[in-house]
Amino acid sequence: MVQVDLKFRDKLAEMIGGEMHNLCYQCGACVGDCPAARYSDDYNPRLIMLKTLLGLEDDLICENSIIWKCTNCFNCYERCPQQVKPIEVIIALKNMIGLRHLEPSSVDEILQSVRQSGRTVLVNETVIRRREELNLPPLKDLPVKELEILIHAEEDKE
Amino acid sequence: MPEKKKAAPFFGCMIQAKYPQFESAVRFSFDKLGYKLVDLDGFTCCPDPIYFQAFDKLSWLSVAARNIAIAEEAGLDLITACSGCTSSLSETNHLLKTDEELRERVNERLAKIGKKFKGTIRVRHIATVLRDDIGYEKIAASVIRPLTSMNVAFHYGCHLLKPVEIMNVDDPQHPELLEQLVKAIGANPISHRQRILCCGKGCLDDDLPPKMMFDILTSVENESPDCLCLICPTCFDQYDMGQIRMKKIFDRKFEIPVVYYFQLLALAQGADSKTIGLQWHRTKTKEFMEKVAALSG
Repeated sequence: MVQVDLKFRDKLAEMIGGEMHNLCYQCGACVGDCPAARYSDDYNPRLIMLKTLLGLEDDLICENSIIWKCTNCFNCYERCPQQVKPIEVIIALKNMIGLRHLEPSSVDEILQSVRQSGRTVLVNETVIRRREELNLPPLKDLPVKELEILIHAEEDKE
Repeated sequence: MPEKKKAAPFFGCMIQAKYPQFESAVRFSFDKLGYKLVDLDGFTCCPDPIYFQAFDKLSWLSVAARNIAIAEEAGLDLITACSGCTSSLSETNHLLKTDEELRERVNERLAKIGKKFKGTIRVRHIATVLRDDIGYEKIAASVIRPLTSMNVAFHYGCHLLKPVEIMNVDDPQHPELLEQLVKAIGANPISHRQRILCCGKGCLDDDLPPKMMFDILTSVENESPDCLCLICPTCFDQYDMGQIRMKKIFDRKFEIPVVYYFQLLALAQGADSKTIGLQWHRTKTKEFMEKVAALSG
């Protein structure tokens, strides 16, 4: 049995810092130009919006959530006649997944890489050599302590 | 003599630590165009617009705002050479300039490291700097070896163009920026059906991105260009390595050389082939490398 929870909209509003998602009237303009919808059998941004508005959060805020199939192309942001910005709703839902520590490992890997080195790409011998060959300035160590203060993820999550 | 135009380059992780040949090509080209790139210390990852933002938006905004604050302190606009960096830094700049409450929340965090976002500079993708600050005519005038023999297809990528209200670069359905840039160096722009389709890099799925890539590569191949030109190192990563994956996944061989626009521009401006680093690309064809060799003499 499906349990509707209309209060979920308020939680989302707090996360996003706005209530535009409530204006979704399920027209489906976001679906027509969505590459993830076009190339998969089950991804549909209109349905994600519907489940969000009905508060079916366990369908979306879970391990291996379907929302990770979003390609982040911003077509739905452009198409939506109500300025709902479905991609921003999806990003907020992803942040909620993060709060429950249910994010995919690739998200953690990027985060850890930035926290440890300040970069998403680790500097290896090949790139050091290539930069020398190209007469480019050497790559410096980055101020990761400053980043740690800005991110302070655990503190926020408690 | 008038003072040279100048700005701070933001190359980002992918270019600096994976594809330094793009940085080399940009520095060569901007020097030829008389535009000064002022390197600033202390930039970190933009940070990543997809996965980092997916983890926590406020942390994402704060790290991006720190990078912007460094450019503000120097009084210089930021020029981004990667569409991902453009996305993170432009969106943060826009949101924090327009949303006072959000700016205060981010500045509370920045204060702990002695920084502040003021909203005094612009963030601009390097392709728009070519068009708006330098101009197609001046680019054409810097060319000493027009690439007239070269048929160049292009891929726009999503984050250069969208969201329009923030990026404000070109019409996302009918963009012409890259065509014009390709024409300016004497090459022939080649359109193809899927030129504005997403490359799929931001999609966390095993199945979808290869299917999207397959369609784009087929669409490019149908027009038989000499190469596929793009303006983002992440899209480059997807296509250059991706063609090798196509063979494994679909047992279908594509052989389309992929280049970052500035490699072609630098080549046209007289750079030798070592400066633009094509030898490190995974997908090369004999025909393309011969055309490049003939040009770089």
